[in-house]
Amino acid sequence: MKKSHLVLALAFFQTLHGQGRGGGAPAANVPPPTSPVTGNAAAGKALYSTYGCYACHGFNGETGRAFVGRWGNLATEQGFVTFLRGRANVAPLAPSTSMPSFAESALSDKQAKDIYAYIRTFKSSAPELKDIPTLNSIVDAAKQDKK
Amino acid sequence: MAKSQKTSVGRRGFLRNAAAGAAGAAALVTTPGLVEAQAPRNATGAAPAAPTVPAPTEAQVARETGNVRPPAAVRTITRPGSDLMVQTIRELGIEYVAANPGSSFEGLQESFINYGNPPNKMPEFITALHEESAVTMAHGYAKAEGKPMLALLHGTIGIQHGAMSVYQAYYDRVPVLMIAGNDPDFIAAHTAHDMAGMVRSYTKWDSEPKTIDEALVAIQRAYNEAITPPMGPTLVVLGSEIQKDNAPNAKVPAYKPPVFVTIDATRAREIAKGLLDAQNPRIAVGRLRTPEGVKRAVELAELVGASTSTAATGGPMSYPQRHPLCGPGADATYDYTLGLETAGAQASITGPALAKTAATRDTVNIGFGGTVPGAGGRGGAGRGGKGGAAPAPPNEADAEASLPLIIEEVKRQMTGDQKTRIQARIAKHASANHEARVTAITAAVESKRAGWNGTPISTARIYAELWPLIMNEDWCLSSPSNFSGGHHAQLWDHNKPYSYLGGQGAGGMGYGAPASVGAALAAKARNRIVINVQTDGDLNYSPGVLWTAVHHKLPMLTVMHNNRAWHQEYMFIEYMAGVRGRGDDRAHIGSTLRDPYLDYVKMAAGYGMAGEGPITDPAKLSAALKRGVAAAKRGEPYLIDVITQPR
Repeated sequence: MKKSHLVLALAFFQTLHGQGRGGGAPAANVPPPTSPVTGNAAAGKALYSTYGCYACHGFNGETGRAFVGRWGNLATEQGFVTFLRGRANVAPLAPSTSMPSFAESALSDKQAKDIYAYIRTFKSSAPELKDIPTLNSIVDAAKQDKK
Repeated sequence: MAKSQKTSVGRRGFLRNAAAGAAGAAALVTTPGLVEAQAPRNATGAAPAAPTVPAPTEAQVARETGNVRPPAAVRTITRPGSDLMVQTIRELGIEYVAANPGSSFEGLQESFINYGNPPNKMPEFITALHEESAVTMAHGYAKAEGKPMLALLHGTIGIQHGAMSVYQAYYDRVPVLMIAGNDPDFIAAHTAHDMAGMVRSYTKWDSEPKTIDEALVAIQRAYNEAITPPMGPTLVVLGSEIQKDNAPNAKVPAYKPPVFVTIDATRAREIAKGLLDAQNPRIAVGRLRTPEGVKRAVELAELVGASTSTAATGGPMSYPQRHPLCGPGADATYDYTLGLETAGAQASITGPALAKTAATRDTVNIGFGGTVPGAGGRGGAGRGGKGGAAPAPPNEADAEASLPLIIEEVKRQMTGDQKTRIQARIAKHASANHEARVTAITAAVESKRAGWNGTPISTARIYAELWPLIMNEDWCLSSPSNFSGGHHAQLWDHNKPYSYLGGQGAGGMGYGAPASVGAALAAKARNRIVINVQTDGDLNYSPGVLWTAVHHKLPMLTVMHNNRAWHQEYMFIEYMAGVRGRGDDRAHIGSTLRDPYLDYVKMAAGYGMAGEGPITDPAKLSAALKRGVAAAKRGEPYLIDVITQPR
């Protein structure tokens, strides 16, 4: 792995995996990047499921290791493909839920770009906090419940 | 650790005399296999020729087909030994006995359901569909109440069915009382020379008494061993004969409670002085034994005005999370820290700034840790042993039993000036902790917005929607939340010893539903409801326990975290395939529950449980949960199938 790839991979890993369990990162509202997309989103949708991307990133990219609103190194198609190829390829002794490596023999550049095209269609489904009565009621209860 | 009190099993006369035709014949049915297994080998090691297998006798056939006539000579039993066993169990305060029926304890079962006035109370017989469920029910009950209930196991097969649950309870430091029946004259495969041997390596104590008198003592001893730190499951093997034999002169021995090891008076004085002299004392509370210990911890903290940390969001029997003294306090530079059953007083150190104080402050920890090395702390070690590695505490004593000594010393030593200073400190801590809590909640709800309106439904939304519906109820979250995001830890207030019961113990699946049923048994008579956020893979180990919940009208709401996979394993396989360069498109094989998807509402309905779903629209979730909570409050267990995001 080239050093630049390593740096890129680490940065992306932190983006996707540095949020603690359960999608605990605050919902962000960074709009999706506007860089060019060459893949086919419809084909990417099937690949997103088949290759189990949803397993860690949720069906909408908003839960688990979420990336919607925190696009970071997903800013460009090439950055995404480079990252997929650049993951560590040494099997750890302990089971790991880290981001897998995707060799070109397992996932072609075209397929990777299709996946990228699909995830670029993702948008946040998170309403503004003021528009979620349930969550507001929880904060209100905490404020009032001073014992 | 485990000590066997095994004695030989001998008295077999009664069965042979009273039911010679039936029992004797049945024993013969299985004798050929036993003879073959035990046949002596010759000098060359070769087995001799197989013995001739006799054809079943008429009596054997009658027994096997259920056409046995009562024996002509009937012995009258006026006071069966099993009545005394039940009386002994009753006097120990055991509320429930869970069992899947088995002939090896038929004498005992008959006494449970018919002996006493009223019969079948203290304990009440709970029908389990599997021994693994019975033992895990006891596991969940004990974590909720801080005391054991009883599980019955049928011979060798029942012990082996229950073994996984025994292992979990042992790893989780939970007191579970078990009795295994042993009938050496019935089916050979169901008996063994050393019945408890199969689970001894993860059972704290076991015994196989040979007389009724010994059995009564053994039951009391097993109870005491179970509740004495380090707590764990204990097993008494009771032969069918002593259950059924007449015991006209036997009586229940006087019960002697166990003696808990405490710190000595000198140490109590030192700790009291340390807490009173400190300008900013801290009490780090781990997992205590019983609700009484939690009360004592609160009493001590209030006496000395110490801010406290809690393990209540990770498991039961810890400090109330919303108590005014629970939190970082007004000043996080603590000059004296007392740990109570924590992995170490350092547990309260959470950041680099605070870590600087660790080298200079006093740290005193009282506690035993667990029966399993490294399994102390919050709910035991998980995969890879992380999270529970606990250094040997400096005071190997029971914190709960030691607290009264410290409290008395504090009261004795406290001056008027100290009392005034402490009251002022309490007020500052209360205000600071309240602000910290509101800040934390505000940050938490912000994080839970992510995916709020997404489909499938986010696990965060399940916990968030549940909380307003139960926050004014007496509730217990019985299911492990480690696979469903643990969102309650940030959103809910864990103020009761049983608010959250923590993890599986040994990380084994098949725990959530039966542990929840055990917790619901504890809740039933206490106007409490139990919330079980149930992972789908886990439920399929022991779904029959849903029927138990219905049959016994338990106040339990099950909300499926249905991600249609053993999802952790799915992710593991994905990574494994990735590092081998083979792609993830086949990672679902063997790790997902699809083709077909399981219908959990139909499954529940099959066991008689009401429910609804599958729910995929997040807008419909809250109303469904509301119906579910209402049903649970009526004592009608309810299941809501929610199709969720994987995590």
